[in-house]
Amino acid sequence: MVDTVAAVAAVLLLTGVTIATRVGGVWIMSYVDITPRIEAFLKYMAVSVLISIVVPTTIAAAPRIWMAVAAAGIVAAVTRNALVAMLVGAALAAVVKNLGV
Amino acid sequence: MVEQTDVAERTGRPCFTAKGVWRGCVEIAPIAVVIIPFGIAFGVAASAKGISPEISLFMSIAIYAGASQFAVLDLWHAPLPLATLALTVLAVNARHILLGAALAPWLLQIPVMRRLAALLWLSDANFAQAMSARQRGEIDAGTLFGSGITMWLIWIAGTAVGALAGSFLGDVSRFGFDAVMVAYFAAVIIGQWKGSKDLFPWLTAAVVAVIGTHILPPGWHIIAGALAGGLVGTWRHG
Repeated sequence: MVDTVAAVAAVLLLTGVTIATRVGGVWIMSYVDITPRIEAFLKYMAVSVLISIVVPTTIAAAPRIWMAVAAAGIVAAVTRNALVAMLVGAALAAVVKNLGV
Repeated sequence: MVEQTDVAERTGRPCFTAKGVWRGCVEIAPIAVVIIPFGIAFGVAASAKGISPEISLFMSIAIYAGASQFAVLDLWHAPLPLATLALTVLAVNARHILLGAALAPWLLQIPVMRRLAALLWLSDANFAQAMSARQRGEIDAGTLFGSGITMWLIWIAGTAVGALAGSFLGDVSRFGFDAVMVAYFAAVIIGQWKGSKDLFPWLTAAVVAVIGTHILPPGWHIIAGALAGGLVGTWRHG
């Protein structure tokens, strides 16, 4: 059993680390001259963060998640509305789960 | 699409207003509700590790970063391995540095205290929402703060339910919420598509991230994929 004082101290430490990651990116960039080239890098990096989360997660998940992601992608391409796309993808995943496929 | 975005960015000066905060609070709500089951799952998993509800709630309030909180649970035993805990949390949350950097051209035009407010509640989900909103011409960084606060409160509430009442709920994943985040992120990604010039950088990010999951410590594949996508995009089109 971890005692309360140690636990609180550890959580505060981890909070500090997490806050550093949250503010660190903007802090670093405040010392960098944001040229069009840097801006292009940041734009590609931004979407690449999401790609790097989605692709490995999806591949490792069940086929119904592949279907949900594909459906969300298609709906997003057609409607340009990420929220509607998310709802369609999630609904498909729920339906497939309940059908027991 | 490209021209529209650029015009919106040039004509509107980035700001941070109460209206924006409220808009962010409301716009993220449909996405935020789906983190309830994840919050519950965290509360349940923490209780299963013998962590008191007060401490697991404190984690969700103070750390507020789901993936790293789950990672911490595996290491939570006396005496607490502080260095390992800190490095693990740094690894899992290092992607925030990239999210922040990507927001820098926008947030550096906002007064510093407001900039900090927008950043302290930064998460994958409200970052994704901000990207999507920016594309529609959103210039008010208050939306980022507002969406962060909504996500945070819901994460705390979910943790409370899981920590206090989790044992009565059973397996919360049976409702199929597991698809929501990944489907939403996929939709935001597709919304960013500007034509075939994006194909190669995007593929690079995907391939590097997938390879990274096999050869890098947990969490770092996201950093590797993001930097690779950014570099290839700049190299080919910068």
